[in-house]
Amino acid sequence: MNYAAKTLQKRFTSNFFRIMSRFSSFMIVMIAALLISKSAYAQIPAEPQTAPVALTGGTVHTLSDQGVVENGVILFENGVISDIGASLEIPDDAIVMDVSGRHIYPGLIDAWNNMGIFEIGAVTLTVDTNEQGDINPNVMVERAFNAESRHIGVARSAGVLTSVTTPNGGLISGQSAAMKMDGWSWDEMTLKSGAGLIVNWPNPVNQRNYNREVKKLRGVFADARAYHIARKAMDEGNTNRRHAFDSRWHAMIPVFEGEVPVVVNANEVRQIQDAITWAEEENVRLIILGGNDAHLVGGHLVEKDIPVILTTVLSSPFRWWESYDTSYELPAKLHEAGVLFAIAGSYGAANVNRLPFEAGAAAAFGLPVEEALKALTVHPAKILGLDDRIGTLEPGKDATLLITTGNPIEYSTQVEQVFVQGRMSDMMDMHRQFYEKYSEKVRQWEEQR
Amino acid sequence: MKNYRCVFQGMFRILLASFLIFTIQISGLHAQADTSPTDGMRDNTPAVHALTNATIVTAPGNTIRDATLVIRDGVIEAVGRNARIPSDARVWDLEGKIIYPGFIDAYSQIGMQDPRVDLELGSRAWNPNIRSQLTAEGEFDHEDDGSDKLRAQGFTAALSVPPMGVFGGRADIINLNDGSVSDRVIRTGAAQSVSLQRDGSFGFVYPTSPIGVIAMIRQTLYDAEWHEKAHQAYKNNPSGLQRPEYNPALAALRDVVHGEQPLVFRANSDEEVLRAIRFKDEFSISPWVRGSGHEYRITDFLSENKVPLILPLAFPETPDVKSPEDALNVNLTDLRHWYLAPENPARLAAKNISFSFTTDQLEDKSDFIPNLRKAVDAGLSRQNALAALTINPARLLGIESTHGTIESGKKASFIITDGNIFDHGSRILSVWVEGHHHEIQPIPKTNPAGTWEVVSAHRGLNGVLEISEARPGSFSGTFTSGDEEVELKSVSVEDDSRRFRAGFDGSEAGFDGPVRLTASVSEDRLFGWADVAGMDRMEWSATRTSPAEEPEKEERKDPPARDLELADIRPNMEFGRESIPDQPRNLIVRNATIWTMGLDGILENADMIVQSGKVVEVGRDLRAPRNAVEIDAAGKHVTPGLIDAHLHSGVTGVNEIGNAITAEVRMADVLTVNNIWMYRQLAGGLTTAHVMHGSANPIGGQNVHIKMRWGALSHELLFEDAPKTVKFALGENPKRVGTNRYPETRMGVEQIIADRFRMARDYEARWQEWERNGSGIPPRRDLRLDAVLGILNGEILVQSHSYRQDEIVMLMRLAEEFGFTVTAFHHALEAYKVAPELVEHGAGAVVWSDWGGFKIEAYDNTNYNARLLHEAGVVTSLHSDNSQIAARMNWEAAKMVRTGVEPEVAMSMITSATAKLLGIDDRVGSLEPGKDADFVIWNGDPLSTFTKAEQTWIDGRKYFDLEEDAMLRETVEQERSQIIRKILEAN
Repeated sequence: MNYAAKTLQKRFTSNFFRIMSRFSSFMIVMIAALLISKSAYAQIPAEPQTAPVALTGGTVHTLSDQGVVENGVILFENGVISDIGASLEIPDDAIVMDVSGRHIYPGLIDAWNNMGIFEIGAVTLTVDTNEQGDINPNVMVERAFNAESRHIGVARSAGVLTSVTTPNGGLISGQSAAMKMDGWSWDEMTLKSGAGLIVNWPNPVNQRNYNREVKKLRGVFADARAYHIARKAMDEGNTNRRHAFDSRWHAMIPVFEGEVPVVVNANEVRQIQDAITWAEEENVRLIILGGNDAHLVGGHLVEKDIPVILTTVLSSPFRWWESYDTSYELPAKLHEAGVLFAIAGSYGAANVNRLPFEAGAAAAFGLPVEEALKALTVHPAKILGLDDRIGTLEPGKDATLLITTGNPIEYSTQVEQVFVQGRMSDMMDMHRQFYEKYSEKVRQWEEQR
Repeated sequence: MKNYRCVFQGMFRILLASFLIFTIQISGLHAQADTSPTDGMRDNTPAVHALTNATIVTAPGNTIRDATLVIRDGVIEAVGRNARIPSDARVWDLEGKIIYPGFIDAYSQIGMQDPRVDLELGSRAWNPNIRSQLTAEGEFDHEDDGSDKLRAQGFTAALSVPPMGVFGGRADIINLNDGSVSDRVIRTGAAQSVSLQRDGSFGFVYPTSPIGVIAMIRQTLYDAEWHEKAHQAYKNNPSGLQRPEYNPALAALRDVVHGEQPLVFRANSDEEVLRAIRFKDEFSISPWVRGSGHEYRITDFLSENKVPLILPLAFPETPDVKSPEDALNVNLTDLRHWYLAPENPARLAAKNISFSFTTDQLEDKSDFIPNLRKAVDAGLSRQNALAALTINPARLLGIESTHGTIESGKKASFIITDGNIFDHGSRILSVWVEGHHHEIQPIPKTNPAGTWEVVSAHRGLNGVLEISEARPGSFSGTFTSGDEEVELKSVSVEDDSRRFRAGFDGSEAGFDGPVRLTASVSEDRLFGWADVAGMDRMEWSATRTSPAEEPEKEERKDPPARDLELADIRPNMEFGRESIPDQPRNLIVRNATIWTMGLDGILENADMIVQSGKVVEVGRDLRAPRNAVEIDAAGKHVTPGLIDAHLHSGVTGVNEIGNAITAEVRMADVLTVNNIWMYRQLAGGLTTAHVMHGSANPIGGQNVHIKMRWGALSHELLFEDAPKTVKFALGENPKRVGTNRYPETRMGVEQIIADRFRMARDYEARWQEWERNGSGIPPRRDLRLDAVLGILNGEILVQSHSYRQDEIVMLMRLAEEFGFTVTAFHHALEAYKVAPELVEHGAGAVVWSDWGGFKIEAYDNTNYNARLLHEAGVVTSLHSDNSQIAARMNWEAAKMVRTGVEPEVAMSMITSATAKLLGIDDRVGSLEPGKDADFVIWNGDPLSTFTKAEQTWIDGRKYFDLEEDAMLRETVEQERSQIIRKILEAN
């Protein structure tokens, strides 16, 4: 009997599921459904939704104007939410799942991650985050996204259903993409390509070097813009000169046309402010990534309507003199200042499970709990232009949601099941699989003792 | 006019005399040199001088005015108001001048500018860092030896310290004349020198870290003891014995280990000063310490533990606060040190700690006198300052009978200044070193300033020259002929040749082009000639009709007032505290949810009584002792202080990679309190940490248990009576150090560990043999093998870094073979794969809540690791291995709850289970009667994401309190602002 088959046999008696089943008999049913419909092998992508699904009896946290619907019903078809309410008419062909005592939340979004392009840190051949050279606007992460990454299953278990996979390095790293955390290959997993053009704002500590690097960045944008103008003239027949294709500058046309925002990695106060002024001159849509000092220029951010993706909430300040909770408190300060922000994970794909706790730390240090949750859902969706599909639970949006025992940013909360665009995902991941496998070893050992 | 002329002539005489002396001195006094045959003509210039009309500071606090100093053949013959001027003396009129004893630099690298790296010839120690057989005089190179730079700051003698390696060699006292060192050695063997930091010159050689350096010093001192004994034993009865190695480096340390020769430490921080002095606890050495300028941080310790201190006067660069953004990035630590560094000597003097000064650490030696004045401005008395430059170093170096004061019979080493040396603007004019005169500041003899009546056969050149001196040595002027006044250009003086030059645009004065004047200056007469554009040469002369006024001395901008009242805090940085918090005799915490982590489990609405730092009682409705401090903790949770089983912060260097086996190095040697993380960790409820050696070695160094006593000295952090533990490391890390270091495979890791185990057993047998027989050559004490033996005998607990299951099982099997138990496997990402084996061996696991994917051996990580281990019966703890995570260990435990671990079990992984694996569960880890009162008050469930620590107590003392923290933040901001303001004012 192979391992998978054996696991299938043992599953219901295993420790792990004894604990899980304490929470709900519903879970048993669901897991059974999973196991029967598929193999027990971990991380098998779920099939697209075929029949309508109605989750009933749960508390639906829509994070939209609809607020919290107690003992509500959420109905979705073909991967899209069709209705949410206290009592809904459920189609006859719907699969009805009783989730009484459970909570339903929108799937969490990690607005900054290297999911799918990072596998094992020290094994450089498994790391596809940094392309050669300084100017790489044309590299697109989704094209290198490894759907087989072990970290994807762990993300799902943590409730992270969208990863904004982001390249790194150089002055312009490439373009990020919002990736769904279920699917067979990158093309079906891509929620949005070109989620942002990633720019690493130069380090201002050495003033001369800083000026030179900023000048270089301005030069790159000027060249790309010149290309845009020339190609446009050519395409529209306003010139009879031919302009050869430039992959780098061509990739930046959507930036100039306002379709792709520029995500500028900027932490220090000079970087943030200089990036804002630069982006305004360039007439591009700016998102600040990092934002350690954002609280010092909250007014500037608000006036220019610049959102921030925070990447270091669960950390300590870089400056010794700053109070120990400076990073934890940053979201609360930005919230008070009226800055739109998302909280992203600090630890990359391999530790994506920590994302909810980043927001949790912010909540412990002054950010209202609801806002903390929005910083993982509503806000990143809005900032990155994903809010037509995800971020809240509303009719017309994707059925990308969590069924939990409580607020997903609380440690004791269990994420029992997730749906990604209506697909009922496999909740087995490599962590759980190893647990299962070696619990069996312990069981055999105990039996022999 | 008369006065002016007098000064002019006096200066002239001095110059002339010094010029003569300077050119002939080498032969003059050199004649007494002993064995060299005379070449050419003998030089018998007399060396008898009478320096008259001077103010003589004979010693700190003792000044004689209008005194005469008589020196003969380099020795002071007489000094005093009534000293007779010998009839054979050359007389020097020092009217208005001050004579000080020559300064003595108590720690220099004079003559050591190009030290030898290789010591390939001759017998020597095994390690290039042990160079104690070298001597400063033997290695001395007098070409460009730096004497002139020290003389320019008033120094006449210096301790020359060999600079390389750990044991650098013998330091000797050398005078600061020029020329061969043979004529300059004042005293040899003043001290042996030692450094607390590695020397990079030797490349990849043990020791590579401060921990290794301290271990090497310790071992070498034992080796020196052994070397003497071994050779004695051999000498007594060589028959049938193997001859012990001849090791001149160890032989040279013989007097050091007997406390008969000082060991001078080079300490580069306040912590290194403590590290140096702590050697006294173990060895009967007599340490001197060359400090770093941070000693003001430990004046309390230094006043109780007096050792000779040698202080540099190198002050930190001004922190960069040019822009507000730059200011944002400056730490209070650096700002405070910038402000306080000049006060260092004054603060020590205020505690009656005596010291000597050195020019060491100054990149530019000419900063010495300016910095000395800064130290005086910052409160050091002039008398103490002078003592630190004269009598203190003379006594320290054992040359007080010949140096340090101006007394008859002592060496003629002194300084002549034009004002009080501690006054800004005073200059050192000359320095005499054992009778040799060295001019430092030439006094200009040619001064053309004044009004001159010019006479010439050329009509146009008849007129008046007005020359004035804008700044010393910088002249300008006009030439007036008839009604025409023209500006002079490029007025200059060549002092030694007494030549004057100037020029003017002739076209304005009736000449046919530029006019250039040149003249020989003979007191008040100029004898000159001129040309016009290279032609029309004409003679002229001039007579000074009136002198110019003396140029005004440059007004020195007053330094910003030193009026900041910066509290004396420890650590001397942001959030430092003025003293250890009080320990209430009686304390009661009321109405809390108390996680006892003992048999009582979690008690709701419970009280805890603490007496003198110990938990006395935990339960419901307890009666408070009289006068107890009462804390109402209604709605709050109380847990034991959190313990981190694996941390690397608060130490200077983590890995000694110079050998695969470094069980001799001890993390306790390199603790530092200058560590902001400790405060942040306290704020997260951490009270105890196991600070570990790194993972570069199959058998690494000994770890240290500390309590987070923020405000204490580094050795006061030590967790009292904690068991010894040692770091092992398996897997990738120990096999990828260097390119040639064994081992390079997991196979080799196992073999080298096993090999050293066997070696330790052989070592033990050798000692047992010696203890039985007591004859022959005594065995050498080997600290590395001592430690390995301690491991085998179960006295040192093994805490092993590991990842994969194979290596975990390997070490358990090896340990079983050698009869001991591995206490815990750390990281142990695959421990879950071998849980039964761990249980059977009796090893614990210290793991991350969730960390993986960073290398191939960390790829099979699972966040259920701790859960499975616990379920299988393995004692399981969490660890941070990371300074930031250590600041929020409660959330690490909370993550376990998400994987299905019961909250109380999760809490045990950062308290009771951790204490058990670290061997300190008799003291900490639970709140039970008799345990240390180390506890945390939380504003809610400690395993909730919404909770934070409000108070952290250690030993019944409140080391962290959110309310106090709020005040400290304010203090930090205030102090930063005050000091930044000072910097802005100073510029």
